[in-house]
Amino acid sequence: MPALARSLNALGLLGVCAALLFAFYWQIARGELPCPLCLLQRAAFVGAGLGFMLNVRFGSSESHYGVTIVSSLAGAAFAARQVLLHIVPGTGSYGSALYGWHFYTWALVGFFLIALFAAALLFIEAQFVEGVRESRPSVAAQGLGWLFVLVVLANAVSTLLECGFGPCPDNPTGYELLRK
Amino acid sequence: MLVLPMAVPFVVLVIAALAAILGFRRTSVWVWFIAAATMAYSFQGHITDPLKIAL
Repeated sequence: MPALARSLNALGLLGVCAALLFAFYWQIARGELPCPLCLLQRAAFVGAGLGFMLNVRFGSSESHYGVTIVSSLAGAAFAARQVLLHIVPGTGSYGSALYGWHFYTWALVGFFLIALFAAALLFIEAQFVEGVRESRPSVAAQGLGWLFVLVVLANAVSTLLECGFGPCPDNPTGYELLRK
Repeated sequence: MLVLPMAVPFVVLVIAALAAILGFRRTSVWVWFIAAATMAYSFQGHITDPLKIAL
């Protein structure tokens, strides 16, 4: 059962990496820069992924699931705020839609599903018997962890380029640090 | 009121992820707490400004 929990956590981490990489692809290929609330949602995805990563790297712990669930709830609050900003007809939207929904709506659903997934994993009680271990993880766990670190680092660099050393404008039009 | 650079939560999260991958489990969780606090601080500006207009 601990192996099953670890595999499912790895799956969750892969899902978070895929979501972040897709948003990154959209940003670069379509030239749509993320707004401040969009960036906060990305940061919350990273937080949720960190909890999964800790479970994969060290073994399952309640505090790791706490990191994932609290990050997901925070992300859901950010996404819900953005949905509410545009819920009144005529108030427009931010960015383009994917299969009829904007990215912040997809993010809201995603955060709900991540929180539900993490809560469901808590039912596997056998995973907590082993406890956390500080020993060296498997090559696969280490590789997945480094992929996550690279994705987070790419997001940090991108945000720094876009916003510079200040707050981001509500409708960013270019990379602040790349302006001449 | 102090305006936090938007990149701060990400920089803190990079530190948390690096701490985790290098084997510092507890440090990673504590750094995540700091990241969560920076996210909450950045969010509070966005939650109140448009609301004031709406009200």
